[in-house]
This record gives sequence, structure tokens and C-alpha cells, in this order.
Amino acid sequence: MTLDPTVLARIQFAFTVSFHIIFPTTSIGLASYLAIVEGLWLKTKKEIYVQIYRFWLSIFALAFGVGVVTGIVLSFEFGLGFAKFAQIAGPAIGPIIGLEVLTSFFLEAGFLGIMLFGFRRVGPKLHFLATCMVALGTLLSASWILSANSWMQTPDGVVMTNGKLVVVDWFHVVVNPSWLYRWPHMITAAYLTASFLTAGVGAWYLLQRKHIAFGRQTGVLGMLFATVLIAWQVFLGDLLYGRMLQYQPSKMQAAEGFWDEQSSSPAPYYWIIAPDQKQQRNRFALGTPYLGSLWLTHSLRGRVRGLKNTPVDRQPTMAMVFYGFRTMYIMAMVMFGVATASLWLRWKGRLYSSRTFLRILVWMTPAGIIATLGGWYLAETGRQPWVIFGLLKTADAVSPVSAHELLSTLIAFICIYTVFMTAFLVFLLRRIRLGPADAPAAAEASGSLKNAIRPQVRDHAVVHAPRAE
Amino acid sequence: MDLPLYSALFLAFSLTMYVWLDGFDLGVGILLLVQRHQAIRDHMVDSIWPIWDGNETWLVMTGVTLLAGFPLAYGILMPAFYIPLIAMLLSLGLRGVSFEFRVQREHTRRRWDIVFGVGSLVAAFMQGAILGGLIEGVPVQNNEFSGTAFHGFGLLPVLSATAVVAAYLVLGGGWLFLKSQSILRGYARHVIYVMVPAFAILFTITCALSAIRQPGIRVAWQHHGVGLSVLCALMGVAAFAIVGTARRERHLIPLLSGFALVGIGLGGFAWIVFPDIVPFRLSLWQASSSHLSHVFLLTGVSIVTPIILAYSGYAYWVFRGPTPEKGWGS
Repeated sequence: MTLDPTVLARIQFAFTVSFHIIFPTTSIGLASYLAIVEGLWLKTKKEIYVQIYRFWLSIFALAFGVGVVTGIVLSFEFGLGFAKFAQIAGPAIGPIIGLEVLTSFFLEAGFLGIMLFGFRRVGPKLHFLATCMVALGTLLSASWILSANSWMQTPDGVVMTNGKLVVVDWFHVVVNPSWLYRWPHMITAAYLTASFLTAGVGAWYLLQRKHIAFGRQTGVLGMLFATVLIAWQVFLGDLLYGRMLQYQPSKMQAAEGFWDEQSSSPAPYYWIIAPDQKQQRNRFALGTPYLGSLWLTHSLRGRVRGLKNTPVDRQPTMAMVFYGFRTMYIMAMVMFGVATASLWLRWKGRLYSSRTFLRILVWMTPAGIIATLGGWYLAETGRQPWVIFGLLKTADAVSPVSAHELLSTLIAFICIYTVFMTAFLVFLLRRIRLGPADAPAAAEASGSLKNAIRPQVRDHAVVHAPRAE
Repeated sequence: MDLPLYSALFLAFSLTMYVWLDGFDLGVGILLLVQRHQAIRDHMVDSIWPIWDGNETWLVMTGVTLLAGFPLAYGILMPAFYIPLIAMLLSLGLRGVSFEFRVQREHTRRRWDIVFGVGSLVAAFMQGAILGGLIEGVPVQNNEFSGTAFHGFGLLPVLSATAVVAAYLVLGGGWLFLKSQSILRGYARHVIYVMVPAFAILFTITCALSAIRQPGIRVAWQHHGVGLSVLCALMGVAAFAIVGTARRERHLIPLLSGFALVGIGLGGFAWIVFPDIVPFRLSLWQASSSHLSHVFLLTGVSIVTPIILAYSGYAYWVFRGPTPEKGWGS
């Protein structure tokens, strides 16, 4: 059997980065959520916010931990699997990621310890500052890494001389044409993820008739954020769509599932297709008539441009781009529907009593993560066959590493990441099952984070106790 | 201004910070394997829990500085050490998640402690193996790694790997000595007494074998024989200082002397390979990034690094003094 190193290197990178993105997406959202909750506590001094903070902090810590260790892998993986890419793109993306480490990773790491363990050592105000710094760190991190990734999508500010990439204008490298559209889109995705996660867990408690006050407050906050955010996200997504149509037409052609240079008129909106890349046609396609024309051209009979507008050797694989996009799109519509329903129920005063709605919210718990993954598959597979769009092809970027090495390390990654995911899910579900009130007793033996801020729940005065042990 | 040189200096600084800081917490992790009492293991993990993440960030900083400042070297070295690097990264991962996972359930804690210890050991070992591989020399053609997967496996990498493990154990012992009381402090002292001589022996053998295997090292000794001898003597002084102060109750000195020991070792290595970024193959100017890339990176570095050092120092300050017996919350 012959194995293609390019394919293996891509699978390895795709697997590790897909796995990784789940955790920062969750922790970016939760960090800001925690900052808001702690702020609300400082302002109102309501006990319930401490409980919410404590509960989600423990889950944040789990997600952050897995995010950190899988993120360290990525900073080396640019060179492990794609050495040529690193050598060419290093002058542009290297300093950007360097600034990410300097302004964000250190900030998160420096204040995370205080956030998790330092409550009694620094007092509430400084502790709130630490939470805010961690949240700021996650936002900065997302902004830098989105800049680097957007530069790969829409490279700018560089020239190629003698096969070497030379930076000529930093402003254009960092603020490249797609960054300012993709960064808010990603941040909003992370916030949506945390909103549906917290709302879903709150709804589960309400269904179980346990921890009612906690469930209500968490659910209310989560649904409130989700409702505002999804509307904003649809708007941002639409802006980004227009931008990418301009800069990467091949990606958007593949995303809509049309092959012919001009589609039929009126164009349908496809939901399921079975594309045949070799024959440049769909073996099967199912869609809603007229809807494609309406949505994509804003007219009743408009035609949509297909992938044949792009030369065959520059086409991405349609199936991956299309289904990545559809996953995100359908999830977005479902989220929008749930948000609308929540407004209706709130108006009717039945937000907590409609068991069907609560059940839907529980099912929606991973909605943000699924949509985010779909969006990233659209972004990354749609950029192919380029690794730096228009500058360097993925196949020319692969490291001089044998297929067998790549395969064996891929298997190692899959095995160990499976351990991570299993343990994470087991502990996450157990933490949720134990509930907010039971959390502290579970980790008595070690100086865990639950212990760290427990005293204040029992007695507010402890907060002002002397710092020394 | 010679910008690539400044980027290289920051690279060296970042690597040194990493080896110092993650060195001691990897050392503490390895020691979990030989510590039978659960309560003491909890205490050991508690001592590094609030600060390990920041320590490990210096590894990312080092890797990314290499990518930003010397992309050619990064593109050669990553594939060259493909297997040990991935083994290191996965081990660091297992170790990192163990912090959170080990406290989740009482009856699985022991198992996670073993994962924690093995992860720390393998990560330290692979770092040492990479050092050995660098000394042996990396096959390079047309700015591309041209060897095979197992070019780096041999006696020298194994020796340097054990020397690095020993060095981390010395640092780990020094850290525990600083952060502990009573029983654990006695244990830390014991670790120091055993590991300092072990490191001295392994280090000497590794150096001798390096000089035999790598002509570049013999050349360096011919040119700076006196200077390098002085460095070796200073390492000897540092080693004696660790053992000597661990006998008395000078809590911080063993760790600081350990930093000196390891720092001088790294400095000597840098002196030998200078000005190469891929040792004995490619100079830092040949591997250099574009001019503006250095400008951007170094501007960020010079503004942000002092701030990082300030708040990281503050984070250490918050958790100063001996680790409380029942964790940071008590």
C-alpha cells in the first residue's frame, strides 16, 4: 500500500487542529462569561453569582487545560508536517504568533493561577482583575491567530524574491483583507458556544427539578446572550460571505454546490449533493427551488456561479467545503429559531415551564461547537489546494518526513487525544451531575480550585480575612 | 543594527527561561513516580499547579521565535527531530491534563499521578535527546533536512537525555526544598544529595563523548579552551553550592544555584555553537527571516517582555512561601 505523505500530513493537522479548536472556543466564551458573572457578583453581592462562577470556573479550568496542551502541539506542527510552509510563511506568520504568545499566552498563564487558586490571597477586586485579564488574553489570542490564519487566506503586505518571502508592510500583513471580518465572526462563535453550553446545562437542571435557582439564572443569562449574539452573528456571517466571494471565489463556488459556470435559472438552494470532482458534476442533488436565486442573488431568477469558473488544478474538493458550510449554516438557522422561540416564551412568561423548550435547549448544548467546526472546515478546505492562497500549494509545503512516520504519529495522536476527550467528557458530565452545590466536597483532598473559593460561599467575611495562611 | 543577532539572543533567553522554569516543574513531576505517599504527591503537585502553565509558555515562545526569526532553521529542525518532538509534545499533553484530571476522583488519582510522572519523564528525556541530536549534527541539503527518522537515536542522545533528566531532578529538588516543610523538605534534600553527583557524572561523560563525536566541539575547545574551562569550573562551584546550602536551612539558594548550574551549561553550549542556529550547519544570518520580521518581533519583545516578567513575578509572589499542607484554598 502506498501512502501519500501530503494526505497524511493534512489529516494529522486537520485532526489535531479540529480537536484543539473545540477547547479554546469554549474557553474564550466561558472566560468572558465568568468575567461578567464575577462583575455581577461584585455589584450585587448575590450569592447565586458566586455559585455560578464557581461551577463554570471548574469547567473552564478543564477546557482551558486541554486547550493549552493541544495548542502547544500546534506551534510546533507548522514545522513538523509542513516544513516548507514554515520556511516560506515564517517571516509573516511567525512574528504574529510570536506577538500572540507575548501578549496573550503569558497573560492568561500569569493570571490563571490567581483566578483558580488566589481568591483568598488577593481579595475580590484583584481576583476580578485576574478574571478579566484571562478573558482579555483569550480575546487577544483569538485576534492574533485569526490574523495569521486570515493572512493565509488573503495574503497581503509581502513580496516573493528568489523563493523567499519578504515582508514589506506590516500593517497590511496583520490587517489583511479578511481579518477584520473573520475575527469578530470567530469571537461571536465562541460566545455563542458558551451561551448555548450554559443555557443547556441550566435547562437540564430545570428538567431534573434540581438546583432550580442556579438553573434559572444560568439559563436566563445563557439564552439572553445567545439571542443577541445569533442575530449579530448572522449579520457578520453575511458580511464575511460577501468578502470571501470577492477574495476567494473558488471557495464560495464550492460552498454552494454548483458546477456549471452559470447555474440554471432559477437556481435551487442545495441541501444534499453527491459531487463527482472528476466529472465536474453532481451525481445527485437535492435542493429547494428558487431559494438559491433568492438568497444568493437577491432576485427571483438570478444565476449562481459554479466551480467550473475555477481551473481544475485550483479547485478545492467540493464535498468538504459544501458540507462544512451547510453544517454551520443549518446550525445557525436552528440557533436562530431557538432564540426566537425563547423571546416568544419569555413574552408569554413560560420560559422555565415549557419542558419541550428546555429539552431542546439540552440538545442544543453542543450547537456552538458543531457550527464552529463546520465553519472552520469551510474556511480551511475551501482554501485548498493552497496553503497560502495564491502563493503556495499545500502539496509543495509538506515536510521531508516519510509516510510511515506520519502514519505512526497520527495513530499516536488519535490514541492520546481520545484519552483526553474521554476523560474530559467523563469529568465534565460528572461535574454537571454533581451540580453546583456538591462541587466543593468532591475535591477536598487536594488544593483544587473548588476549595480555593469555597470559603466565601459560607461566609462573606472570609473574603476580607488576612491573606497569610 | 544586527537584528538577527538580537532575535537569537531573545531565543536564547526564552530557551533558558523554559529550561529553568519548566525544568523544575518537570523534575517535580518525575519525582511523583518515586514518591509513595499520596498526601505528599498531592502536596508536590499543589506546589507547581498555579505556575506550570506560565512556565510551559516559554517553550511555545522558543518555538515561535525560531519560526519568526529563523524560519529556515525551524523548517530543518522540526522534521529532523520529528519523532522525539512529537513524543515530547504528547507527553507534555498527558502531563498537563493530569493536573486537572487527577483531582476529579479519589480512586483514579494514583493512575493520573503515574501518567503525570511518565509524561514528565518522557518529555524531559526527549528534550535531552534532541540536545544530543543537535550536538551530533543534523544532515542538511538545500536548506532541507535530509536524514531519516532515526538519525538522532544513538549513545550520545541517550546520554544527554539522562543528563537533562538529572538536571531537571536537581531543579525539582531545589524547588521542593524551597516550597515545602518537614517531611517533604527532608525528601527534597535527599533528592538533591543523590541527583547533583549523578548529574555531574552524566554531564562529564556526555561532554567527553560529544567531543569525540563532533569535530565542531573539538574546534571550539581549541579556540576558547580557557573560557570553556572556566565555565566548567563555575558549574562545579554551583554544584557544591547546591549541596552545601541544602545541608543548612538556606531555602532559596539551592534552587538559584541549580539555575546557575543549568544556565552556565546552556551558555557554554551556546558559546560552542555560535554563530550557528542549526549547530555546525547553518549560521543565524543564513537562516534569518526578512528584516521587517525581526523589527516587528523585536519591537513586541522589547515592549512586552518586561511587562510579562513583572506580572509573572507577581503571580509567583502571590503563591510565595511554603505550599499549604491542604492546598492553596486552605
